Amino acid sequence: MTNKKKKILGIVCERSVDLKKHIQKNKLKDKDNVSIVELTCSGMIQPVMLEEAFKQGAEGVFVMGCQIGDCHFREGNKWCQERLLGQRPPNIKKTVDKNKVRGYWLAKCDYKKFLDKVNKFEEDLCK
Amino acid sequence: MYRKILDKLQVLTIDFEKFLNKVFSQQYNPFYYHGAVPNLFMWTLFITGLLLFAYFQPTLDSAYISVNYISTKIPFGQIVRGLHRYAADAMVIAVLIHAIRVFFTDRYRKYRWIAWYSGVALLLCMFVIGVTGYVLVWDERSYMIVLMMTDALNQIPFIGQTLAKLFVNGEVITHYTMAMSFFIHVGISFFLLYLIWLHYVRISRPVTDVPLGLGMLLFSLIMIPAALIPVVSGKPAVLTETPHEFPIDWFYLWIFPLFSGMPALIVWTGLFVAVAILLLVPYLIVDIPKSPAAVSLDNCVGCTLCAKDCPYEAIYMVPRTDHPKYKQLAIVIDSRCAECGLCVGACAFKAIDLPQKHSKEIIAKIGDVLKEPITV
Repeated sequence: MTNKKKKILGIVCERSVDLKKHIQKNKLKDKDNVSIVELTCSGMIQPVMLEEAFKQGAEGVFVMGCQIGDCHFREGNKWCQERLLGQRPPNIKKTVDKNKVRGYWLAKCDYKKFLDKVNKFEEDLCK
Repeated sequence: MYRKILDKLQVLTIDFEKFLNKVFSQQYNPFYYHGAVPNLFMWTLFITGLLLFAYFQPTLDSAYISVNYISTKIPFGQIVRGLHRYAADAMVIAVLIHAIRVFFTDRYRKYRWIAWYSGVALLLCMFVIGVTGYVLVWDERSYMIVLMMTDALNQIPFIGQTLAKLFVNGEVITHYTMAMSFFIHVGISFFLLYLIWLHYVRISRPVTDVPLGLGMLLFSLIMIPAALIPVVSGKPAVLTETPHEFPIDWFYLWIFPLFSGMPALIVWTGLFVAVAILLLVPYLIVDIPKSPAAVSLDNCVGCTLCAKDCPYEAIYMVPRTDHPKYKQLAIVIDSRCAECGLCVGACAFKAIDLPQKHSKEIIAKIGDVLKEPITV
């Protein structure tokens, strides 16, 4: 594997950036090293899921929810953000390298912004 | 088709809010406080109304004089009166934006039906309060409002005459008419508090206040007109002379041009149909019912995290006796559950899960997805 392609997993709220058109076999069509798992809400993401992802060989994990303040289920993205920041239980284990975790808060039609951020993430991981 | 239109409207709303985010920043976006903004204006109305209440005399003879007395003699009386009027107008705008946004973003049905229904009731109450408020000034416009309203109410079959009698508080306009309008205006305002409780019930931590900065900005929107454009009464009402025209406040008195344009019965029917449609709207789309979150008895340790995180007050804790170590158990109220999975995210013990999207399945999927090789 070249240095450039890092295995990245995205755990994504199905109401934030609309990825249905851009996914093929659970991977982004534009970047096939990025796998996507969709959930009902970003608030559903358990810290265990992040730990599991790294255990299964992911080199970077990002979490994506709607814009802060605009969660369909009122508070999901807020809780998720606070968990990533370590301000809300259950906490993410300290064995997880926080440099390899990102949280994006984007609206339904922000696909371009989303790609930019993922590219940036990939660059950061390669450093 | 209907669903597609709704989806488009949702994207439109989000786009507009993204633009507002650039102007206000996410923290101060008024659209993210769409429920708290009407609340701000409502409290302004309560407080200014209370101040006006101290000097207002609800009789035909002295209502007009006392309102003018408030405007001219009481310190800041003009501003308080102006605030009361402009906050009322601002409230209609804020309430409509709130209702439209909730509709566009699909946040009004299923487990939210109680908020939608109480919202419709709140909307109707707001207009009744507004119309009776215009009677209290007792200028020519107030007189016209009473005449036209009595006439229109009389045309409702069966109950119309009783309603008209109640509204006028007798056969003809007397001091008691004014007392009745005053009673409706203030009485229903307090009834709003009950409806608002219904509006908030089943919502944990409702957002009822805007941030200070945004609050000051919005308050200045009514404070500036109140200070610059004083609210004045028209000519005093004279019961022997019937006026023919009056200035319209389009926010509250929109129904009166309709009354003069067509038979009142049609207007009432239209209003009735509109309310019926509003009450039916949440049931126009039917989703495939899924199952609410389920608690696993063996795994629940009674840590209360899911109950704290639930945004719809659907989870509560009960004492348990079947376990030697754990003293509490989480219980899900099925009818309140939104199937959003926030409780799943809050649980570190795999004790609460959505049956249709089990956390075990998700973790297994994460593993599967990562096993697939990258094609270079």
